[in-house]
Amino acid sequence: MDYPIWDLAMGGGVLIGIVAITHVWVSHFAVGGGIAIALVETLAVRRGDAALRNLAKRSSLMLILISTVFGAISGVGIWVTIGLVHPVATSALIHNYVWGWAAEWAFFILEVVTALLYFATWDKVRPRTHVLIIWLYAFAAYMSLVIIQGIIAFMLTPGRWLATRSFWDGIFNPTYLPGLVLRTGICLFLAGAYMTFAALREREPAARARLVRLMAALQVVGVLLAYGGYRWWEAALPDSVRALFDSAKPILAQLAITRHLALWLLAGYLLLGLFALLVPKAQRWPVATLGLLLAFGFFGSYERLREGARKPFVIRDYMFSNGVLVHEIGEVNRKGILAKAVWAARENDGTPESKGRAVFRAQCASCHTLDGYLSIRALVAPVDADMIGGILATMREEGEEYASGKYIHDGHVATEQLDYPHMPPLVGTDDEVEALSAYLLSLKASH
Amino acid sequence: MQTNLIPALDPAPLPGPPWLFHVLWIVTFLIHLLFVNTVLGGTLLAALAGRTRAGARESRLFLVEANSWAISLAITFGIAPLLFVQVVLGRFFYTATLLVAWPWLGMLGLLTVAYYLNYVAKFRLKAGKDAGAILWLEALCFLSIAAIQVTVNLLHMQPARWERVADQAWVALADPTFLPRYLHFVLAAVAVAGALLAWVAVRRVAKGGEAVSCRGMASFGLKAVMISTLLQLADGFWLLFALPEDVLKGFMRGGAATMLPFVVGVLAGIGLLMVLAQVSDPLTQATKVRRVMELIVGAVVLMIVTRHQLRFIYLAPARASEQVAVAPQWDVFALFLVCFVLCLALTVYAVVRAVKDQPQAGEQAA
Repeated sequence: MDYPIWDLAMGGGVLIGIVAITHVWVSHFAVGGGIAIALVETLAVRRGDAALRNLAKRSSLMLILISTVFGAISGVGIWVTIGLVHPVATSALIHNYVWGWAAEWAFFILEVVTALLYFATWDKVRPRTHVLIIWLYAFAAYMSLVIIQGIIAFMLTPGRWLATRSFWDGIFNPTYLPGLVLRTGICLFLAGAYMTFAALREREPAARARLVRLMAALQVVGVLLAYGGYRWWEAALPDSVRALFDSAKPILAQLAITRHLALWLLAGYLLLGLFALLVPKAQRWPVATLGLLLAFGFFGSYERLREGARKPFVIRDYMFSNGVLVHEIGEVNRKGILAKAVWAARENDGTPESKGRAVFRAQCASCHTLDGYLSIRALVAPVDADMIGGILATMREEGEEYASGKYIHDGHVATEQLDYPHMPPLVGTDDEVEALSAYLLSLKASH
Repeated sequence: MQTNLIPALDPAPLPGPPWLFHVLWIVTFLIHLLFVNTVLGGTLLAALAGRTRAGARESRLFLVEANSWAISLAITFGIAPLLFVQVVLGRFFYTATLLVAWPWLGMLGLLTVAYYLNYVAKFRLKAGKDAGAILWLEALCFLSIAAIQVTVNLLHMQPARWERVADQAWVALADPTFLPRYLHFVLAAVAVAGALLAWVAVRRVAKGGEAVSCRGMASFGLKAVMISTLLQLADGFWLLFALPEDVLKGFMRGGAATMLPFVVGVLAGIGLLMVLAQVSDPLTQATKVRRVMELIVGAVVLMIVTRHQLRFIYLAPARASEQVAVAPQWDVFALFLVCFVLCLALTVYAVVRAVKDQPQAGEQAA
């Protein structure tokens, strides 16, 4: 890529994962919490139920502190992080979806103002107005999910956009609706899990059991919705994506394990939800904490799975994880990767080793670090010179196969038919490939 | 100049005409900046207010309460200009942030700490406790964020400095305009927050608020405006003459387009000082206090225009050969407009209803 390369021992992908997973935990609560609090206060007003009112009130400070403070900052945090780790991909997304993000921003304004207003107007306005404010909040928060889901899903399954470049084809891509159903379920069960703690603070036992049961119902509905959405999402994935983690012999064993883990965590969480639904009086905070951890665990695992399933792309079938575009492989092979990656080329002082290092930084450094995450030094240590040459030659051939369209079926690259299905192909001139080989051998010598 | 270090243009066309992005960028940035000024200046003034002077506690309480809204709104309204700068100048912006990647990322940590500190200060002040140290720490966080923003802003406009900064990160701070630009930012923030404080004090008295504390708030706010504006006039000229020669010439030769906003902005500052000199008792001169507020907002608007123009004069050589393709997504833009108008209308409706629909005596509240 033609931007400065940020040396990060933990790997850029890991940093994005940490920031993104943290953000989605709170942002999905912000959506689900809005819906749940709106439901609870509506019921409280209709039934004149003081315990329900107190539950809504107790939960609203958490909504503010999590949604408008941490959610807003971590949301900007994702922008900052992807801009640093993947500026080329960020730029591509911005150019396609700026108006979508702008529309989401409009809903943010309503969301933030109504969240603050809701918290500030307890005991100060008539109940009908207070309920209206929280429903407006819930509407705005959910609409932001409706929009952003399109952009997130696009990166994994761009669908018809690859041919039409249409905003709408990109947004309403094959995994848009399944993902939206899944995330709606997640929003609901996260809200139920968080608000169970507020429910447990109710002192009157019968009322406490009633509140716990209501929150458990929310969680059970959420889990069932999330499970249905997840299965739908899997079914909507192209074969080449599912082959990575869901086949008799998955290409990425770790992702396959992550998938199993996610489903088992969800099953465990469902059991805890049913327990609270059937025996609400027995609910205690350690069980509620376990439920919350299972909820986090499922969601984090799903996000890891979704991100990992994009390999070797950052925008599937369009842009590889190192910023090289599928359609520019031929040109880069002719002109050289260092003609494109101007910042990496800056480190080339003319020696084969420095040139190889520059090629490595241009093509490989987006995933591999020298000695940290996916250490290249450790990876080349057990490999001899002939094998390095062979691997690089195969990866280069795969680039030509991508360019020729040999593996394209139904508009998708059938990556599972490649020798290195989860890695971008090697591109560049013969000199650059030789220099890379020399550099990797020099690392082997220094191991 | 290492122009070859400027990344290639994104191959995707702009999804709207450039002028539209410029307009939206300036408008949304103005709103963002007004909230940012309130936050930065408000935190500084809250820290400076001390405990003993008349109206000090009320000033602090108002400023931290206002900030619990203003920080959220500053972040929210920051999203839009962040989007538009990436559309128009993405390759310059990303490169600048990458050159100072850790501080740029660290900004999020500072923001999180500052935001929660504001809530801690608010709850402590409401409980009658002191919050001086917390406010100073919060102010330090916001001052650091301002320094990071100014650094990135200067870097993205000057590709010729990139290679040196890549070799030695501290060079990012060595720009001759860094200090005056940073001061310009901080002084403007103090002036905005001071004017807001004075205006709120005057409004409170009009609604039957306690006169002594309100007079203290107003005097403190106007004093902050006076001092910061005097310093701003000197700093403004320092900044102007610290600009690179070609940029200064480009700016001066821009004709009415560049000179009019600049000159009117400076006149607004001078006018502001003249109005301030006429205020002897702010509580009985509400119109003049309001005029102070209007002049400051006017000056901020004009300076934002000047700032935007300077950015593109800086970048003119680097963008000379830029050929931007445009393929407007008018249907999606229309959807954005509908969403924006709808959300704005609902926001106003919610606020108005919250203000008006208050329960009568004996009636149940939410």
